[in-house]
Amino acid sequence: MINFTINGQPVIASKGETILQAARKAGFYIPTMCYLEKTTPCASCRLCVVETDKTDGLILSCQTPPTEGLGVTINSERLEQERTNIMRLYDVNHPLECGVCDKSGACDLQNKTLEFGVSAQHFSAKEHHRTIEHWGLINYDPSLCILCEKCVHVCNEIIGDDAIELQFGGYKSAVIPKNSEVLDCTFCGECIAVCPVGALVSSEFQYSANAWELTQIPATCAHCSAGCSLTYEVRHTSNSIGAKAKIYRVTNNFEHTTLCGAGRFGFDFAVEGTKDEAELAKAVHAIQNATAIRFNSLITNEEAMILQGLKEKLGIKLYNEEARAYQSFMAAYASISGKTGFGGSLDAIVQSDGIIVLGGRIVTDNPAVRYAMTTAARHRGAKVVYMHPLEDEWLKNVVTQFVKYEVGTEEGVIAMLAKTLLSGADISEETKTFFDGLDEGYLCAESNVGDEEYTHIAKSFARAKRKTLIIGSDVLNHERASNIARLCAMIETYTEFSIVVVAGSVNTIGISLICDLDVDTFGGNVVGYNAAGDYTMGSIGDVMLKLPSLNSQEGTFVSINHQVLPTNVAVAFEGYTLNDIANALGLVSQHTIDYTEKLPVSKGFNGTSFDSLGNFYGALGEDNRGYILENIDVEANGILEEVEDLPEFNGTVVYRCNPVNQFNGYTARTKQLEKEATLRGSAQFAAAAKIGDGDKIRIEFPQGTQERIFELDSTLKGTIALVPAYDVGFGELNEQYRFEKVKIMRMGSES
Amino acid sequence: MHHEEVFTDRNVSEHSAYYYVDIETYPTTGWDKFKQALKRAVRGELFVGLWVVMREMIKFDIHTVQYPKEKLPIGPRYRAVHKLLRLWESGYERCIGCGLCEKICISDCIRMDTRIDENSRKEVTEYSINLGRCIFCGYCAEVCPELAIVHGGRYENGSEQRAHFVIKDDMLTPLDLLKAGEQSEYPGFGAIIPGSDASVKKTPLAY
Repeated sequence: MINFTINGQPVIASKGETILQAARKAGFYIPTMCYLEKTTPCASCRLCVVETDKTDGLILSCQTPPTEGLGVTINSERLEQERTNIMRLYDVNHPLECGVCDKSGACDLQNKTLEFGVSAQHFSAKEHHRTIEHWGLINYDPSLCILCEKCVHVCNEIIGDDAIELQFGGYKSAVIPKNSEVLDCTFCGECIAVCPVGALVSSEFQYSANAWELTQIPATCAHCSAGCSLTYEVRHTSNSIGAKAKIYRVTNNFEHTTLCGAGRFGFDFAVEGTKDEAELAKAVHAIQNATAIRFNSLITNEEAMILQGLKEKLGIKLYNEEARAYQSFMAAYASISGKTGFGGSLDAIVQSDGIIVLGGRIVTDNPAVRYAMTTAARHRGAKVVYMHPLEDEWLKNVVTQFVKYEVGTEEGVIAMLAKTLLSGADISEETKTFFDGLDEGYLCAESNVGDEEYTHIAKSFARAKRKTLIIGSDVLNHERASNIARLCAMIETYTEFSIVVVAGSVNTIGISLICDLDVDTFGGNVVGYNAAGDYTMGSIGDVMLKLPSLNSQEGTFVSINHQVLPTNVAVAFEGYTLNDIANALGLVSQHTIDYTEKLPVSKGFNGTSFDSLGNFYGALGEDNRGYILENIDVEANGILEEVEDLPEFNGTVVYRCNPVNQFNGYTARTKQLEKEATLRGSAQFAAAAKIGDGDKIRIEFPQGTQERIFELDSTLKGTIALVPAYDVGFGELNEQYRFEKVKIMRMGSES
Repeated sequence: MHHEEVFTDRNVSEHSAYYYVDIETYPTTGWDKFKQALKRAVRGELFVGLWVVMREMIKFDIHTVQYPKEKLPIGPRYRAVHKLLRLWESGYERCIGCGLCEKICISDCIRMDTRIDENSRKEVTEYSINLGRCIFCGYCAEVCPELAIVHGGRYENGSEQRAHFVIKDDMLTPLDLLKAGEQSEYPGFGAIIPGSDASVKKTPLAY
């Protein structure tokens, strides 16, 4: 704690806090233009200058921590003069096109210009021609850019794409794509969000609506398990009679949260429905006669409650292989750790100085985890070990050690990793004997991970204080998932590591807590809710009864932070909901959200009603969204099983992996997101499979065949190709083990 | 302090300009009423009036305004049906699509749709004013930064369909009229104040 004064009033700053942060906490206002809470200070605007009693010159409050007893003055004639001059310089030749600017008044430059009363231009500079750049989803107008560098900082420090940089050239400076002619990035659009002026804008949204016309609806993203906070901005569409309101754009509280491209650009997935009583009766009849309901994890907790209620009432089964895999993984996990949930969270990753990622392609599986990793690496210098059969080009800026293991050998790798991390830990004799009994030679040879790689991990993590192990979704469907879970739980229980298991889909965790799932036998009379079935309903694919999509529903999700997050209706839906069907079946409740307070307390829910859940961040970044689930204690009676013989995957192997910004049937039908549905492989893979770039191919999976185009991807290495899963059926990556042995044939060649 | 307004004295008195007109007493008995009716009918005063009409008709000296063929001139600042003006030189629409008129409209009758066009400029794709709701307050014309939306002199709002009230093409100056110099600037609300050139601050051009 450091005591100092601002304008003579005592202020306390905690260690590591800057003058600006302490001042904001204490309620003092210091103007800034380039400051972003979540990045390191850009220090480009110099608007946050303050005077102190220990320095002659002005100092930047955004990057200077206070010293004990320092006297800071934040308003004075001199400071006012300094700041006004900065604003005058910012306004030099800034185009006076505010009337048509896409910022439409929600502009930091406009606010500060008015605040400092800059009404005329006192300086002159020769303007030169600047062209508007079109970078796909993003447009950049250099003449509006004030070079605050927020976009560059956020792209580099938080996202990790490192795709843009500042081209220094005095008055000619501009933001340019880094090492590339055009912007080559994951199109998260965070640069658009942080841009204080109208320089970086969404090309699709640009000039389509003014900020003040948009109704803001706080919600939770419906694409992956991170449960990011976002705001749907909704407006009427046109003058025509019967035209419905639609979502124009998605924004986020960029000061404290980050959103990926799917969240930001993939918002137009709402469906339309009508109240067709005959169809409702059919649906009710279908469920009455069904043996099971099959559903995917794109549903709310409340809907999961309804499905569980139907199961209890009608005695039908519930199929959701993806959530069931997670459920049994976590059950095995809890049998060692004694807690229902894992201990880590996205925030824990951000705070880490040592991170191990194992068994998942994080960049596309869960961008929020990737951003947390990037932040940890950039801000805390975290060591990042990435363990996977495939290297990821997007992670190359962050990963300090890449460990490649053979496909299918996850159990052996985790056993060896656990042995390494648990050496010296206070574990039972039994466990010690288990680890001593591991056949190291066999495991290392089969998994192709050498002893020295584990030693290297142990060495580089020796001095790390906060450590996180991120378990990707590959292992959830592994044959030996339960034992892998137990080994992971060992690591969390007996080391300083906290663990984050990256659940596969939006509400996988919520469903795994609420529903009592059955093993899918792929037979019988099944009703599909957003999934295959004899009778289908939902919002994905060509279903018989349309039910609202996740942006037309209110309800809650459980994110990988174990946080119960509310979401709201952005686009009205006129048809029936699952609750209407349940009502017809005798499970009566007026609203779907009446179930929120009935969510099982035994699983950690706390009985708060939907309307009392907050969904916002405070001015200083306090998370006021929903609530955190209680991590319930359970009996820890699990024992480690012997590591089985490691499987071998020879021949043609593909990996189910969605392209950037694609997750499920919702993202697959959005307008802006790139719908790349090709099989992507390296040159080595192409040679082995005897196919070439652009070839039309047929892939034979054990479950069926797919026809795709093969695309040569120069960023890939090795003999495993990436096959997307978002566009087939219902887009579940995690219904089977993600690696698969397949047969690939060039179409037309077999005849 | 209580202030009492002094009103003009409208009571009839010697000092006022008002006086009683001389009106014959009304007949009371039936006979008197009969006499009065007979006197008025037989004297043929009706034909005096008819003759005046007849005479003017023959002389073709007609002073009636031939509405709707002919309309009385209306004050230039009168706020009737809106007009959308074009730029004099290029003929482009003046409207830049800023949306201020839509925002300021107190009866919420203006709607517009905009998009980005091929030249990366903001383009107005739809613009409508529901004249069935418009109260002709003139705020839209006043707020318009481009003098694009103004009030015109067309005050007829009769139509078979409400939709006819909202057609953009009816409001926009046709190109041929623009070329013929028929477009007129609006001196009402929102127009440039005479002499405003003098108050424009110049940007220093020292390079």
